[in-house]
Amino acid sequence: MADEASKIDHKRHLLLDQPLLRLPYELLRKNFRSAHFTTEWDAAFVKNLLKDTATGSLNAKTPPEDVVKNLDVMLARMRGLKRKLTTNAEEEARLYRQLDARVAHLRELSGMHTVDDVRYESWSRQRLDRLMIDYLLRHGYNASATALANERQMQDLVDIDTFVSMSKIRTALEGGSVQEALAWCADNKKELRKLKSNLEFMLRCQQYIELLRAEQPGKTTEAIAYAKKFIVPFNETYPAEVLHIIGLLTFGPETRLPAYARYYSPDRWSQLAAIFVDAHNKLLGLPSFPLLHIALSSGLSALKTPACHGAEATASSTPGHGTSLTASVCPICSTELNELARNVPYAHHDKSHVASDLMVLPNNRVYGQARIQECAAKAGLGPNHVKDLVTGQVYPADKLKKVFIT
Amino acid sequence: MDSLQHALAEVNKMRRLSTAVDHVDKIIEMLSTAREQVATTLDPHTTSLTMTKLQNPIKVAFERVNEDLKEVSGAHKKLGRALDKHFPLKPLPSDHDAMAEYPDLINRAIAMHLLREGQFSVASTFIDEAQDASTHHAPYQRLDADTPDDDLDEPMDEDDPDMNASPFTTASTNQDLSSLQSQELQTKFAEMYSILQELKARNLGPAIDWARSNSDELEARGSNLEFELIKLQFVWLFKGPLVNGLPDNERNGRSGALDYARRNFSRFQGRHFAEINRLVGAMAFASNIPDSPYKQDFAIDGAFMDVASSFTREFCSLLGLSAESPLYIAATAGALALPYQMKFVEMSKAKGTEWTTANELAFETPLPERMLYHSIFVCPVAKEQTTEANPPMMIPCGHVLAKETLQRLCKGSRLKCPYCPSEGQIKDARQIIL
Ligand SMILES: [Zn+2]
Ligand SMILES: [Zn+2]
Repeated sequence: MADEASKIDHKRHLLLDQPLLRLPYELLRKNFRSAHFTTEWDAAFVKNLLKDTATGSLNAKTPPEDVVKNLDVMLARMRGLKRKLTTNAEEEARLYRQLDARVAHLRELSGMHTVDDVRYESWSRQRLDRLMIDYLLRHGYNASATALANERQMQDLVDIDTFVSMSKIRTALEGGSVQEALAWCADNKKELRKLKSNLEFMLRCQQYIELLRAEQPGKTTEAIAYAKKFIVPFNETYPAEVLHIIGLLTFGPETRLPAYARYYSPDRWSQLAAIFVDAHNKLLGLPSFPLLHIALSSGLSALKTPACHGAEATASSTPGHGTSLTASVCPICSTELNELARNVPYAHHDKSHVASDLMVLPNNRVYGQARIQECAAKAGLGPNHVKDLVTGQVYPADKLKKVFIT
Repeated sequence: MDSLQHALAEVNKMRRLSTAVDHVDKIIEMLSTAREQVATTLDPHTTSLTMTKLQNPIKVAFERVNEDLKEVSGAHKKLGRALDKHFPLKPLPSDHDAMAEYPDLINRAIAMHLLREGQFSVASTFIDEAQDASTHHAPYQRLDADTPDDDLDEPMDEDDPDMNASPFTTASTNQDLSSLQSQELQTKFAEMYSILQELKARNLGPAIDWARSNSDELEARGSNLEFELIKLQFVWLFKGPLVNGLPDNERNGRSGALDYARRNFSRFQGRHFAEINRLVGAMAFASNIPDSPYKQDFAIDGAFMDVASSFTREFCSLLGLSAESPLYIAATAGALALPYQMKFVEMSKAKGTEWTTANELAFETPLPERMLYHSIFVCPVAKEQTTEANPPMMIPCGHVLAKETLQRLCKGSRLKCPYCPSEGQIKDARQIIL
């Protein structure tokens, strides 16, 4: 009851849940910037054309027929703006709906004070679902993520759309296409510059490399023109790299020179994909690796004990051979997680955690007296014998010896 | 979170982009009207009049749109401030992803979790998708600036002896994943789920059948599940048709229960004689169970929940699995331990010391009692946990010390216990298994 470790520290319990609110907020801002940009652009255009047309009409330079034409241009422009703004408004509504759902979900936790609260389990299960969906999406397992979100009816608590668009661009890169990623760079130019991301430069270099890889007469000229237009402008930021890659002109795909041969490596595509993912996540304030990884590496360590990978079976490590009295089996010893936990450090403890009534059996195995007696009773052994909970060996009860743990 | 919800409610009252859309619509209306006017007359004079008159309203309308956008942005900023205030950003681990090397092991854990949660169709979708991805390309790659180019494509270090020694190398784990798809595990969990569904609907039949057909294994584990189920069936029948909703015939009610007891309790007479007598004796109190000493035995709700959880436990145990999802426990423990980890990381950063990963965490991560699965022995002298290399030793007086401590404490072959006046021989110390 008075288990201090069971208390929920609300201020610090929601570390893994930060992206839950940060992401829709970032997307709200991004969505707004795009709405603002198109509005300003189109408004300036329409206002200017309107002014010019009115002036032209007033001093009879623009005949009414042309005024109608200009008005049609303005109308087309405004209808375009309306379409784009409507999309933005829908996205905004969706994000606010998500925020409402997410704040409500986080608020449920405020009503719980210990992890023993029955409601905490279902809340924590939902958190695991969120972490799994985040993991699935980051790996591009979009169908699985969508299926799980639908099954659990938690679409507003996960970011399927964001990750699906991200994985489209990533898959395009892995398949050798830079167009999608370049378009994304153009959409996020300012922010990428703030992040000092080298993504666009790397993409441009790749296009240049591909032109040289073709090794056709016309292509080299094209490559030179391309480098002038798209690579040289990066000279201020990456002078050494620009100089180096321009030099690639003289080294075809067959080059043995490692410094140049690496440019032609097909591995560059997966590297580009990784650079893109990294920039994407930074831009949206997402952790650089899956939240499930963070939770697991922390949780596996907290649960792990030196015994979990030891040779000796203990009452908590063997579900199949133990008895039903060993009610709960250690998750680290389980088939599911044992291998995964092999290389994480084990938990640190300052105090012993053992039953208060320990007895040692002649085979040197130690158990709580109450548990041994209960087990003996269930096995129908009678009061004068006890049974080892793990090995099943039976001993006379008077061979037990008390163990003192200080 | 309450204050954040209030802030969000406030923000929700503010203007949205949809207002700007309405005002853009107004501009379109004005432009259309003007266009119609000009197009119908095509008269230079009225045209220039129309166009001059159009200027100001359009200008005002655009200003309106601008104001809309300002307020929308204001709402976002208000929300941003509320987030910063009530849900301030705290750092998460970002330098090293210890899990990145094991996507196959994590995939397997997720697939198992989905299966034990009864999410069979999601599990199947996932297994297909994960296998598909692993045959095409390494699905997830971490960007690591320090890694040389040519290493980037290796999802796992094949020279790592640990990984080769384990049965979980990339190839075999993929097989593993497909074995989850095709083999019995899925069928088994499906069986478990249908039995649990029936239990929820208060139908003990399938659970009893299962327990009976596995009675040897259950008995070997010292499990009383079969008896507990039969006992509950007896009580359930005893309650009669008004409570259990079963047909009102000779197989229900008190006589039905008695008949059931005769047919089923006999096998358990040996081991549960006293309890059976007790239960059958309850017949005498039949009219007034709630006030009788049998109140506990006849409380139904808890009993159904208890058999359901011991059924799950036994079912999973016979499959060699734990009853609770390890992934769930680990993720929950992670959420509880993470704040301690981050606090430690911050402190180390402030002190300029590096957080190196050793065998043992350098900080405590307190977990609730029920998440401590093993006995943990910390040597009271060395203040260190015992390990296989440095196991717990019990000296003749019954006190326990770590082996290394013992070696340090002993003088020659004699040993003085630091916790009681007793003295003994080092050869009499015995290594114990906690
Ligand atoms: Zn363990
Ligand atoms: Zn002693």
